[in-house]
Amino acid sequence: MIKFIESVFQNLSVWGLPVIMVFAGIAEFALGLYENKWSKNERILDIVCFVVPKVVIRPAIVYFTLLALPVVLPGLKGIFGWVPFFWAFLIIAIGDDLTQYWYHRLHHQVPWLWRFHRTHHSAPYMGMAMASRQNLLYTIFFSQIYLTAALTYLGLGYAALFVTGLKSIITTAAHSSIKWDKPFYTIRWLRPVAWVMERLISTPATHHAHHADTTDDGVGYYKGNFGNMFFIWDVIFKAGIITRKYPVSYGTKAYRQEEWYAQFLWPIFKSKKKGSELAAKGPVVAEDVVYVEEERAIA
Amino acid sequence: MKLDSATSNKLKRDLLVSLFIYALPVVLMFLYFLLSGQRPWENWKQPVSTPSTISK
Repeated sequence: MIKFIESVFQNLSVWGLPVIMVFAGIAEFALGLYENKWSKNERILDIVCFVVPKVVIRPAIVYFTLLALPVVLPGLKGIFGWVPFFWAFLIIAIGDDLTQYWYHRLHHQVPWLWRFHRTHHSAPYMGMAMASRQNLLYTIFFSQIYLTAALTYLGLGYAALFVTGLKSIITTAAHSSIKWDKPFYTIRWLRPVAWVMERLISTPATHHAHHADTTDDGVGYYKGNFGNMFFIWDVIFKAGIITRKYPVSYGTKAYRQEEWYAQFLWPIFKSKKKGSELAAKGPVVAEDVVYVEEERAIA
Repeated sequence: MKLDSATSNKLKRDLLVSLFIYALPVVLMFLYFLLSGQRPWENWKQPVSTPSTISK
């Protein structure tokens, strides 16, 4: 049984998850969950972001990490191999996800970092198509990858296999436009499970709120709900809201349908769209500027 | 555009709490070993990797 679970997670990390994402994406598309928002520009961007990191970036990171670790941590390979599985799992799960939480949160709260993460929030829809949508530099500097690689080198690799597999499933499921968590809120006897689940891990309700284009409806909360695998960090830091509802619209108000290459490769390539955050001499955070303009228009 | 002081202070406070959270599983593990008397590092031998093929 253990061997079977082990092989499931091994295959999941190699080809399993991409295959699940493709089939779930087809199901979302067939159900009309992308409405008419998956334009040609969005399609190219989503597909490039899905393929390039898996084919080029990740193998390159693994290769260079394997070369670098024996130099950075000489003679320490496997030194913590004695750590029992339960504790290794807990150490990796907390270390990896809390590091990603901070990487993500800082890209929202430190203004000059926002544009590296904006690509993930520009999609006006949720789903498998946009789950991998990230700027190239944001992907390369994913800090938790290097931490988990180092912990694997130090001997916690077996636990890392399960943590990273579980994390991929949870974060991908939280991005899905299929609202699989809804029965937990509507079926009476499942509500206690929902109470624990929505505080512990990211769900479509809490993560969709993070991708909303407004906070005015009391459902959307792009200023918080930063959790990736665990939502508990937002609970601890009082940075989250739980409403069990889903936003009406997604994306960012400052989105100008910037060219896919500018979104993927900014700041190497810049957008030609005037006033865009990704344009040369564009605003660092245009959101506030847009709001001011909207308020003036209303007045 | 600069980081406002309220956000900056909140970030510092939460980062400090995070250091405690990072250390928590390691501290709990050693506390468990202390209470249970287990010392798994003593009898542990690092597996020796053997080459899959022998070159003559």
